[in-house]
Amino acid sequence: MDGMLSREHTILIVTSIIVGTLARIITIKEDFRQYPSYPNGYLIHLVTGFVAASLGAVAIPALMTKNFVAVTFLTLAIQQFRDVRKSERESLKDLENTEYAYRGDAYIDGIAKTFESRNYFSLIVALATGITYEIVDSSAWINTICSAVVGFIILYILKRFSKGKSIGDIAEVKEAKIEVKNHELYVDGLYVTNLLGTENASKLFLEEGRAVVIYPKKHHFRVTLENFGQRQAALFEATRTLGVKRYHFTRRDFENGRVVIALVPIINDKDKLIEAVKKTPLLESTKKSESVMNSNMVGRE
Amino acid sequence: MGREANTEPKYDLLALVTLDKSRILGGKQLTLLAKDEEEQKTMTADIAKALKADVVKMNSGDYLVIRV
Repeated sequence: MDGMLSREHTILIVTSIIVGTLARIITIKEDFRQYPSYPNGYLIHLVTGFVAASLGAVAIPALMTKNFVAVTFLTLAIQQFRDVRKSERESLKDLENTEYAYRGDAYIDGIAKTFESRNYFSLIVALATGITYEIVDSSAWINTICSAVVGFIILYILKRFSKGKSIGDIAEVKEAKIEVKNHELYVDGLYVTNLLGTENASKLFLEEGRAVVIYPKKHHFRVTLENFGQRQAALFEATRTLGVKRYHFTRRDFENGRVVIALVPIINDKDKLIEAVKKTPLLESTKKSESVMNSNMVGRE
Repeated sequence: MGREANTEPKYDLLALVTLDKSRILGGKQLTLLAKDEEEQKTMTADIAKALKADVVKMNSGDYLVIRV
């Protein structure tokens, strides 16, 4: 039996892999809205999650058997997760021309990073599960239960840590009045575009157009909300949720920071439109910390 | 306008339909002279439909067919 895994290590590895893979299954649901092609995409990410969990699971038995060199394969894992980010980014960029509106590079970058970090979830959860199994000195059943519990606690903490905010957290989103004056589109009195040059276009927007205005709750939130990538992400979510018959615009008001999103949707439902915009995630690349910006730098008053 | 009005800042000017002969100055775009306002509207709509483009009515009365 020399060279074979012991029963204890086998249980440790299997438990860690199961808990780590479950961590990926649980977190993949949160990305459903952002998912481009879910049946196959789902499988791809479950398999990479399984691989991540496996790498985390075997690290502890490798250490316990004094196989320290084997732990360097964790660097391989990091490389693999970077490839996950890269492939996700490429896949979403390939889809850009087929969507109603562009996701935009900022949103794609955010989604790709999220997918990468979710694989680290699996790795860390599996690793924590394995460590706990090794530390708890009891029967196999007790060890398994304790390690699984710790694994899920770590998952909960990681989820809380990485949970981002959405537009609804920092802004009010309200339905807005659409007007067309001399073939120019106005939303709540704010000029949006003059692309409605024909009678048909003006009529279509007046009859079927929908618009919402995003009002920042605090002045400094304007920096985030008015970011081009952030507005594009909001527009993308709106068009993705309701579909687009024709036209979609965003416009910002320099005076008071209102942001307009206007479109002619396929599903004409104002509540869904407001909800879609509210639930648009705040992109990591656009976030600004007000407290950091207020801090005094050395040498300054 | 560019990035402000729409998220994709690429614009192609495809056609100009005017009633004023003096405004036909050449360029890459197709420039057409209409007899009257009714013909101008019809021509603009036909071109826009064929090219799947958008129409801008300028304050001068000319129509631009552009693709965003």
